[in-house]
Amino acid sequence: MKILIVGAGQVGYFLCDRLSREGHEVTLIDQDEEKVERAQDRLNVLGVTGNGASAEMLEQAGIKTTDIFIAVTNKDEVNILACLLAREYQVKTRVARTKSIEFSNSKAILSKEKLGIDLLINPEDAVAEELSKLACSARAFDVAEFAEGQIHFQGYRITPSSPLCDLTLAELGELRGMYKFVVVAINRGSDTIIPRGDDIIQSGDRIYIFAHHRELPAINYLLQSEKVEAKSTHRAFVLGGSRIGVQVAQSLEDLRFNTKLIEKNEDRCHKLAEKLNKTVVLNTDGLDVSTLLDEGLADADVFIAVTQNDETNILTCLLARQHRVRRTLALVSQPELLGLASDLGIDACVSPRLAAAGAILKFVRRGDIISLTAVDGSNSEVLEIEIKESSGLLNIPLRALHFPRGAIIGAIVHNSSYEIPTGESQLRSGDRVLIFALPEALQKVERFFS
Amino acid sequence: MNLLLTTRILGALLLFLAATLLLPLPFSFYYDDGAWPAFLLSALICLTVGGLMFRLVKCRAELSVRDGFAVVTFAWTFFAIFGALPYLLSGAIPSPLDACFETMSGFTTTGSTILTDIEALPKSLHFWRALTHWLGGMGIIVLSLAILPMLGVGGMQLFKAEVPGPTADRLKPRIQDTAKLLWGAYVLLTATETLLLMFGGMNFFDAICHSFATLATGGFSTRNTSVAAYDSSYIDAVITFFMILAGVNFTLHFQILRGRLGDFYRNEELRCYLAIILVATLVIMLFNGIGGVYTNLGDNLRYSIFQVSSIITTTGFGTADYEGWPVMAQYILIMLMFIGGCAGSTGGGMKVVRILLLFKHVQVQVFRLIHPRAVRLVKLGNRPVDKDVMQAILGFFALFIGIFVAASLLMAACGMDLVSGGAAVVACLANIGPGLGTVGPVDNFAHIPAFGKSVLIVCMLMGRLELFTVLVLFFPSFWRK
Repeated sequence: MKILIVGAGQVGYFLCDRLSREGHEVTLIDQDEEKVERAQDRLNVLGVTGNGASAEMLEQAGIKTTDIFIAVTNKDEVNILACLLAREYQVKTRVARTKSIEFSNSKAILSKEKLGIDLLINPEDAVAEELSKLACSARAFDVAEFAEGQIHFQGYRITPSSPLCDLTLAELGELRGMYKFVVVAINRGSDTIIPRGDDIIQSGDRIYIFAHHRELPAINYLLQSEKVEAKSTHRAFVLGGSRIGVQVAQSLEDLRFNTKLIEKNEDRCHKLAEKLNKTVVLNTDGLDVSTLLDEGLADADVFIAVTQNDETNILTCLLARQHRVRRTLALVSQPELLGLASDLGIDACVSPRLAAAGAILKFVRRGDIISLTAVDGSNSEVLEIEIKESSGLLNIPLRALHFPRGAIIGAIVHNSSYEIPTGESQLRSGDRVLIFALPEALQKVERFFS
Repeated sequence: MNLLLTTRILGALLLFLAATLLLPLPFSFYYDDGAWPAFLLSALICLTVGGLMFRLVKCRAELSVRDGFAVVTFAWTFFAIFGALPYLLSGAIPSPLDACFETMSGFTTTGSTILTDIEALPKSLHFWRALTHWLGGMGIIVLSLAILPMLGVGGMQLFKAEVPGPTADRLKPRIQDTAKLLWGAYVLLTATETLLLMFGGMNFFDAICHSFATLATGGFSTRNTSVAAYDSSYIDAVITFFMILAGVNFTLHFQILRGRLGDFYRNEELRCYLAIILVATLVIMLFNGIGGVYTNLGDNLRYSIFQVSSIITTTGFGTADYEGWPVMAQYILIMLMFIGGCAGSTGGGMKVVRILLLFKHVQVQVFRLIHPRAVRLVKLGNRPVDKDVMQAILGFFALFIGIFVAASLLMAACGMDLVSGGAAVVACLANIGPGLGTVGPVDNFAHIPAFGKSVLIVCMLMGRLELFTVLVLFFPSFWRK
């Protein structure tokens, strides 16, 4: 497919990387020649230097034959104008990023329908959504939902005290009689492998599993290294009263978390207290540990740091960790710092731009692939694919199919029931399969099913 | 303040009163009760005095906030004095003080009476009594919506705080139009109740008198034993329903007529008001059941909910003598007397929204002790309540209790016993009607000494005009230029 991306910032660069790897023809437009050249040097894309909101430039970049148009500059107006132009050139799919809620709000006067934009993505909304999803899954660090939320994909960090530590996958298979899940990948250091029966789970590994949402409580219990008493309410701390902070606090309220929001600025605190109903708004600094301990920071369930400052977020998370907060999540904008999370013991670092890019990727690759998620820290992906009548894969045991290497089927969903795949499982028309794929296998998987 | 302008406005209001004095005439002729000369003469007096005040005083100044206080207070006082003329001239109530008490009780929608034999009154005077209620109720709606918010003392300030967006979106931008719409809702509800009561076997005259008294949350009945005289569960049910409606903010009724039911349910004050009625009724039923007052569950419900609605809406009709009820039940009724109806209704008392916010304020105070660094606001319907409004409420609460104590002291000075004296003050200050002891639901206020009656008249006026409006007139700085 031909894809045109306007804006070579973090989101644009990330999208270029992903989409070009998958074999799409990607053209990148940006005004900054340096950025364009950098992308052209490192990635397999065509770069054009110029204004993405000018018709002449767009024509030059080949908009007339483009299938997908993505505008992700840091100016809302440029993105919207570029998408309006793309509509005139009859580009099928148009995606824009906006910062202002003027447009992304559901009650907006100039809604995305009127602007002719298929997906209007707001990085702050995207990251707030991701953070609240992460907050409510007990020990998982990477969470995604598939098949309308029936099947969850989760990553777990293995500690030395974990019951799974030093087990082989074959041994784990016996456990699986009680706990229904599939380990689809093990991430050790910088390598991601798809495990076989004799692979051993080691301390410090990150494992990725597929499981039905009904099985999650039992699985979370199994994977919990420390004993957690059954509690009806969970305590959550959110640091930073920005829009992301408010949104996270609001969704935690809805999830019945006992939420406390910490903000330095007193006037802002009053505004927050107006907006939030159950959340306790604390007017203090994130490093004012004694106040936070008085408010019950020790042994809290989640600490989420979403201030504007990456360093503050990481440091306060470490501080919270020291006071035995079970899970710490940090908002990190600088890509260089993103990888630090696992080394420092922070459960997850989430970037607004990557969250937006993830949402855009998910959207543009619809079609046969229903949903798709990039796995944190590696370039692996999870795909949800619908089996078509014509695929020629129907009613053959999986063993007999030559499924590509570097990919594994994690679950098969027949309408509302699901199956953990074995060698004997057969695919039926209309089934949806969930696949974990390493980057090199991605294209093979797509070809296999098409 | 501008004395000339105030006089001119009062003159105009007297002319209006003169017109309303003619309304009972058809009943006087129909029942041939011989009271028509009294009404004609009263109307003539009002016409002359009012006409002189209106014609002779020329003033083109604008009404200031300060004049507003004076106009409102004096209007109610003038109405009480000139409205008493028919009682005096017809000889039904010979004492001028008693006549003023009865009229003030009418216009402030209190419903306390000094009459020992109500049924002996001429029919047209019965109608006049009910009419004073109805006009007073109407007046208070307009007052609380249009004038009191400007003066900054009314409960409607709170209502405004709760209404999202500009108030223009809610009703009409012009006060006159708003008033018309609300009167429409008021008239419609009155007509509906009259019809429903006639359906239950009441004659037209009694039905309209009781409807006037219900919608205004007044409480004057045409019978000595109040609503109990009809002994019909249908009539009890109809009146209970309309009493509860009358205790609700009238702008909400208007929203219903407009078909916006959502507003009705979303209103936090209303939900609180209904919850109080429900809980109070259940507790009183429980104690009445244990105490063996009613053996039949149906009767227990019928009488308990009627008295609860009658007291909380500050109507004051009676179908049962609650002085025979267990002390717990009486105590709950006393508490309901203090609470009163919703802001913007015809009911009196401290208003549900004020009590609600007081509790929320206390909650926030306690919360701040536990979480010293927390920022928490008092909210009503998810919108923060302004600090000034909260302070006004605290002031109002203190003043209400203060006036209650001071007035009770004065009643004790007249020789009334503790319970009766205190209850008489609450009954008047909260515009309810019957109290406890010697002023209970089957008694009347006739036996109170003249000084006590005057105190109660002032209490009624203050309670009706939300205390501050009257109180400012007693400050010397108000009268200085």
